[in-house]
Amino acid sequence: MADLQVEICGVKFKNPVIAASGTFGFGREYNLLYDISQLGGISTKGMTLEPRNGNPTPRIAEGKSVILNAVGLQNPGADYFIRNDLPFLKSKGLVVIANVAGKTLEDYGEICAKLDGLADMVELNISCPNVKAGGMAFGIRPESILKVTQISKKSLKRTPLIVKLSPNVESIAVNAQAAESGGADCVSLINTLTGMVIDIEKRKPLLANNTGGVSGAGIKPIAVRMVYEAAHAVKIPVIGMGGITCGKDVIEFMMAGASAVQVGTANFTDANAMPRIIAETGRWLDERKIASVKQIINTVTLN
Amino acid sequence: MKDYTATVRQNEKIAENIFMMKLSLHGEPEKIHGGQFVNLSTGDNSLLLRRPFGVCKAEGNEITLCYQIKGEGTLKLSATPAGAQLKVLLPLGNWFDLESYKNVVVVGGGVGIFPLIAAIREYCDRVNFHSFIGFRNKNAVCLLDELEKSKTLTVVTDDGSFGGKGNAVQAYIQRAGEIEADAVIACGPPVMLKALKSEIASHGIKTPCFVSLEERMGCGMGACLVCVCKTADGGNARVCRDGPIFPIEEVQL
Repeated sequence: MADLQVEICGVKFKNPVIAASGTFGFGREYNLLYDISQLGGISTKGMTLEPRNGNPTPRIAEGKSVILNAVGLQNPGADYFIRNDLPFLKSKGLVVIANVAGKTLEDYGEICAKLDGLADMVELNISCPNVKAGGMAFGIRPESILKVTQISKKSLKRTPLIVKLSPNVESIAVNAQAAESGGADCVSLINTLTGMVIDIEKRKPLLANNTGGVSGAGIKPIAVRMVYEAAHAVKIPVIGMGGITCGKDVIEFMMAGASAVQVGTANFTDANAMPRIIAETGRWLDERKIASVKQIINTVTLN
Repeated sequence: MKDYTATVRQNEKIAENIFMMKLSLHGEPEKIHGGQFVNLSTGDNSLLLRRPFGVCKAEGNEITLCYQIKGEGTLKLSATPAGAQLKVLLPLGNWFDLESYKNVVVVGGGVGIFPLIAAIREYCDRVNFHSFIGFRNKNAVCLLDELEKSKTLTVVTDDGSFGGKGNAVQAYIQRAGEIEADAVIACGPPVMLKALKSEIASHGIKTPCFVSLEERMGCGMGACLVCVCKTADGGNARVCRDGPIFPIEEVQL
């Protein structure tokens, strides 16, 4: 059996497959279906300082091989998470990545301070396309990525910082470098692409929010390209995501330069997607007699 | 809750735009109660979302779902031949718990009748159902044999082409005074449930009323927070996991 363990910023993962933020809540529901302790980690539903109700419905739509969501960061607030969900997730022995978002720079500093030393890693959501203030506003320009990373890093004395990058940008390489310069220990990408679906009978966008974040199998080539560009622009590790549905996709992202991956939309198509993907990844390596998944990272060479 | 592979046994049109699909699950499921739903793959790999459908009938490892063709997913499902295999996550959501009731009014509109039929099937030995069912027109009428398991059945259509002319809510309200009901269960389009809520309030009807809601869903099990409804206190409830059935006074319609 191939060794699937990876280590990112000193944090050990039993395998490189992490549940992506927003698709997996705080793990309790999927844990009714299978034991989530078999996962490498979980990136929690994005949380804010105060509870948020999110956007009106419909919050989800579909295109060919993609979905769109516009949940708008509905969450019970960081304090609630720390009290009620963090102990449960810690008890499952998987890496707990707290995904956080703020309206202001100060919000990011404050929420990171709350989670410092509690979560195994913190992932900054600076690229949520579905909230009007903050969110994406910080994630587009390298100058603001630098600032929000700096202020968050200042609050994180003990917990490694991941900055989650938006694909809706001019240069993913420059933005990844901005996060690195600001003190990020790791970058993750890609967040969703902004999209729209129109109900042509009503001549109205299908999502109540008009636009939503596009995710799913259809965006994978874009994500792989961006992971490659980011991984070759920075020295810090990269977590890749975007349209992963099977073990071969994990291998592809890792070859592009990712040290681990996140799986999101595939959980909706196949509720048991992640345990299957972990098994498939191991099988692919075994069939090629590759001893460790670490040997795959960053091994693609350009034509 | 478990994800099953299922073989399509039968998939046929039962009314205008309405199909009935019978599935054999590969494996014995836990008990599926009336009002619970499933999340079904469409068989088209380019459609990443499953489709939530209320269970109409469940016996052993056989389940029956009825659905209306609304979009690409249901169109694809309607063309699925017998013998095809689909994936189905079940059972999902809460159910119509009628253990403590003897006389129950059923208010159903259009495709909302399917989960209500499952509740009638589950309890008809012990509960007297008084059903008020509305369809758009005679072409939409279906599953009368199942609805006739009710003690009394009133069927109306919007245009009067079958049964009386009117809608299910009006039909119930006209007769509400005569029926000694100890609960009302309802499922139907949002406009119907909204009318039910306001009619109940304006007629001072105090009978406990439970409504089954519909919303576009993601995971179907409460993780993704896509399918929320507004609660009376201004918060959110997850239709898939906190519902789909709610006391009518607890949700904004």
